[in-house]
Amino acid sequence: MTFTLNIWRQKGPEDSGRFVTYEARDVSAGMSFLEMLDSVNQRLIADGEEPVAFEQDCREGICGSCSLVINGVPHGPDRGITTCQLYMRRFPDGAVITIEPWRARSFPIIKDLVVDRRALDRIMQAGGYISVNTGGAVDGNVLLIGKDQAETAMDAASCIGCGACVAACKNASAMLFVAAKVSHLASLPQGKPERTHRVRAMLEAMDREGFGSCGNQYECEAVCPKSIGVRFIANLNREYLRAGVVESGLLSEPEAPHAESA
Amino acid sequence: MTRLVSHFRSSVGSKVVMALTGLGLIVYVVFHMLGNLQVFEGPHALNSYAALLHEMPILLWTARLGLLSIAVVHIVLAIQLTLRNRRARPTAYAIREYRQASLASRTMAVSGVVLLLFIVFHLLHVTAGVVDPSFSDRVDAEGYRDVYARLIHAFRNPLIVGLYLAGQLGLGLHVSHAVSSSLQSLGLEHAAFNRLFKSAGPAVALLVVLGNVAIILAVFLGIVRA
Repeated sequence: MTFTLNIWRQKGPEDSGRFVTYEARDVSAGMSFLEMLDSVNQRLIADGEEPVAFEQDCREGICGSCSLVINGVPHGPDRGITTCQLYMRRFPDGAVITIEPWRARSFPIIKDLVVDRRALDRIMQAGGYISVNTGGAVDGNVLLIGKDQAETAMDAASCIGCGACVAACKNASAMLFVAAKVSHLASLPQGKPERTHRVRAMLEAMDREGFGSCGNQYECEAVCPKSIGVRFIANLNREYLRAGVVESGLLSEPEAPHAESA
Repeated sequence: MTRLVSHFRSSVGSKVVMALTGLGLIVYVVFHMLGNLQVFEGPHALNSYAALLHEMPILLWTARLGLLSIAVVHIVLAIQLTLRNRRARPTAYAIREYRQASLASRTMAVSGVVLLLFIVFHLLHVTAGVVDPSFSDRVDAEGYRDVYARLIHAFRNPLIVGLYLAGQLGLGLHVSHAVSSSLQSLGLEHAAFNRLFKSAGPAVALLVVLGNVAIILAVFLGIVRA
């Protein structure tokens, strides 16, 4: 198979960047998208040209670093997968494929297709954790929770923080990411004591980082490699409204679940 | 107080205020349409209804100012959010493919501007009588302001009909995304009701547009006449 690739090339953060056309030759249908890019890079290196910089790590759909917008869709045309799980048989022979980096003010381009996604880390640092002092804490499995609750937490926890939701959102909003993290922790007993602080701190961090707001178009849900639903954004909105009520003194926070046994 | 203000200035807080003000405006639009449907009952019904509204000036002006306030808050927030959202993506994609975003959701800013221009025109036309003052002072046989005659006169004019239909297109597009979007912004989500929430927007939009267009076309086609 042969493909014409329009790839975004940008030497560095200060470069204005441009599309450069390459030909991917001798591509087998069983090659993954990243393997196809590897083969193009091998040829570029052999020709003494600068290879295309792109991120990759696990190549198992787990890490989410293979962040590419392929023909206008983050992670490519298939639903519920990362770019590394996309195979060239998905494209017709001779197809023109346009490859761009995630585009958002909060994700500045480092080089070519590689963007700086540390903004998501900073949102996590603002409150996406549970402060449990180890030693006196009860083992997590001792606290029994309902199956629905466990499944909700698990669905939200499947977020790998790849940023495809930001890339797909018309407003470059990180709300599905924040919603998944907030919902995951707020649905578990260990996460409830800090839920008010968490939702406020994470949203403030999101706004500070320059992400947009949710337009309820649900493109984020459509491209999420873990198929995280927009119902979590509704949950985030509820959590945020609840935080306002708690801060006004009308509702109090529950006790930490491990407090009695400590 | 500062904490509360900052709460509602955030990306989620702004959307909550947008949703509440938007829903308030939609409730008004539904009642406005229902009131105007009285044109099908004849001049007496519509003119006495209009007179009833004007008989309570305090209530009328409270409603008008209340409506104006929430409209202003809604519009100012829409502009702020749009500017913030545009800043969030300074460089557009070369190719952009939408997976499930509806046409209405993608054109909220455009339909909002169309709607705003239409509302300004509608107020100048009907409320202030600036566009066509010929029927402004006319009264019917019972001494009521002849709203019915003015409406018939207006919708016999193809240009006015065209402008009102364009306004209804803007209204329909805006409302069809707005209702469901507002419910999501307010955190209303439940597996048992999600289908209902999603169809609420198009259903309300269809109801309002059909009601309003029925009035316009009934007059234009001569079904309702003086």
